[in-house]
Amino acid sequence: MDFLSPTSNGDRAPAIVIEFKNVGKTYKSLLGNSVKAVEEFSLVVGEGEILGIAGPNGAGKTTLIAMMLGFLRPTTGSIEINGAPARQYVEQNGIGYLSELIAIPSKWRADTALVRYATLAGLPDAEISGRVGYVIELLGLEEHRDKKVKALSKGNLQRLGLAQALLRDEKILVLDEPTHGLDPVWTQRFRDIVEDLRRPDRTMLIASHNLDELQRLADRVAIIDRGRLQRLVATGYEQAPSATTRFRIAVARGHEMVRAAFPQAEVAGRDEFDVTVHGIQELNSALANLIAQGVLIASVVPERSVLEQQFREAVGES
Amino acid sequence: MTSRGRLAKYSLWQFRDFVMERGIGIVIIGFLWGYVMFEPLRRTMGGQWRGDQLSPVWVILLQVSSAVASLSVLIAMNGLVSIDRKNGYYRFLFSKPVNALAYYAQLFVVYMVGVLLAMALLSSLAHIIFPAFSIVNFVIYSALIYIAMGGIGFFLSVAIRYDWLTLAAIWLGSRVLRGVYGPKNDWRSKAVELLPPVHRLDDVANSLIGNGTAATSDVVWLLGYGLLFFALGLVILRYASLAD
Repeated sequence: MDFLSPTSNGDRAPAIVIEFKNVGKTYKSLLGNSVKAVEEFSLVVGEGEILGIAGPNGAGKTTLIAMMLGFLRPTTGSIEINGAPARQYVEQNGIGYLSELIAIPSKWRADTALVRYATLAGLPDAEISGRVGYVIELLGLEEHRDKKVKALSKGNLQRLGLAQALLRDEKILVLDEPTHGLDPVWTQRFRDIVEDLRRPDRTMLIASHNLDELQRLADRVAIIDRGRLQRLVATGYEQAPSATTRFRIAVARGHEMVRAAFPQAEVAGRDEFDVTVHGIQELNSALANLIAQGVLIASVVPERSVLEQQFREAVGES
Repeated sequence: MTSRGRLAKYSLWQFRDFVMERGIGIVIIGFLWGYVMFEPLRRTMGGQWRGDQLSPVWVILLQVSSAVASLSVLIAMNGLVSIDRKNGYYRFLFSKPVNALAYYAQLFVVYMVGVLLAMALLSSLAHIIFPAFSIVNFVIYSALIYIAMGGIGFFLSVAIRYDWLTLAAIWLGSRVLRGVYGPKNDWRSKAVELLPPVHRLDDVANSLIGNGTAATSDVVWLLGYGLLFFALGLVILRYASLAD
């Protein structure tokens, strides 16, 4: 199956878990005006895959997720999860879902909110206390567990939202702007949590504005704009294009030798150079040459990640 | 994991929400309303105060208790479904393995239990100062009005955002329009027949609260009308989007 080929590791093609079939959503006002939020969106997501969804504001990411959870009905097409209509699957199995807007009644206490959601998620009484305690500890909410939701900061509310999504050992996780409002420490912690959640039988969708985050976490990223799937990008480095790419190289020792390997190198700062190469093969050859001559490389950073480059091309920015 | 949500267990949380957010308010309003109406009368009448149905106060008690029951239903129905949609609470609730129809149907029943308990408490207080006032009869009347009025309220809460105001407007508007056009023998009198059968409430209140009986046709009309709209609300919930 070619839809997963960039990220498949084994011989067996992963089973299809989520399938968007020519999905469209048009909003109509009472005056007859219509807005197409999503158009002709088709995509399949395989078991064990982490799919990123990227797009500018208003691109249709949240509408797409709302349709996947059955909160909105597609105007055209359909969405299936494990072969069943999306809403039917959610009602029967549940999905770990973190919405972009964390909407929990403000009068609820953080820990009792989790107990309520755990009850709705079907956890037996004997497991609820332990599981709630686990997610509270995982998300660092111990000192906030007795607080009412309205007393939580944006970051803590975001963590509470993520905690409720992780109450069960879900097969499917959908995270919409998961690091929105998190400080750098918790942004990194979130990435570690997602890495820990990666499992061959678990499928994850992560919608984010943060391309760097998607580059690190996702296997593939669907770039959508104006409601359409513009491009599907594999994030693995084995897929790095052979196209011209710029890197910034920092040199700890032997900076005078850089131009020998990279004749077009531009000085970008103290001991830093911007170089343009035609593919990573050329980059590696030149770096190997420098290192062989005793140059000490401190860092090599692409000016734009593969994903960022693709994103800019797809949404028409330069 | 494929286990279904434990909706029956969650009814305890729904009941707790009712008590904290609506039940206590209903009891306080009902108590204060009764107190300011009847305590001055009791003081003024002194030894003439009688707790039977021949007392001149009986008619006022019927009116006030009927109004308290209606107001309680209005309070209970306020935002029953629309608040979850308006505030986005549906997102976390229904990403769990829960059927939205079952969730809200259960909420409707749990709130009915809450309203009836509140009415039982208030009617117990009324019974102390007015022994002829039957707790059982009043609770049965409250159940009838909950289904009749609450069924429409449920439908409105599913269909629109401003459900409380709309329900009050429809309830009062129906009373006025039926009063004006009902007696006329033209198309307007037929059209108002489609409105909620609020004109039957006074007779039902008098007979049901008073002696525990009511005309079967009136009860069927009221129950049927409410249940029809409750079912329509469920149909909309089934086929419309949960998100706005």
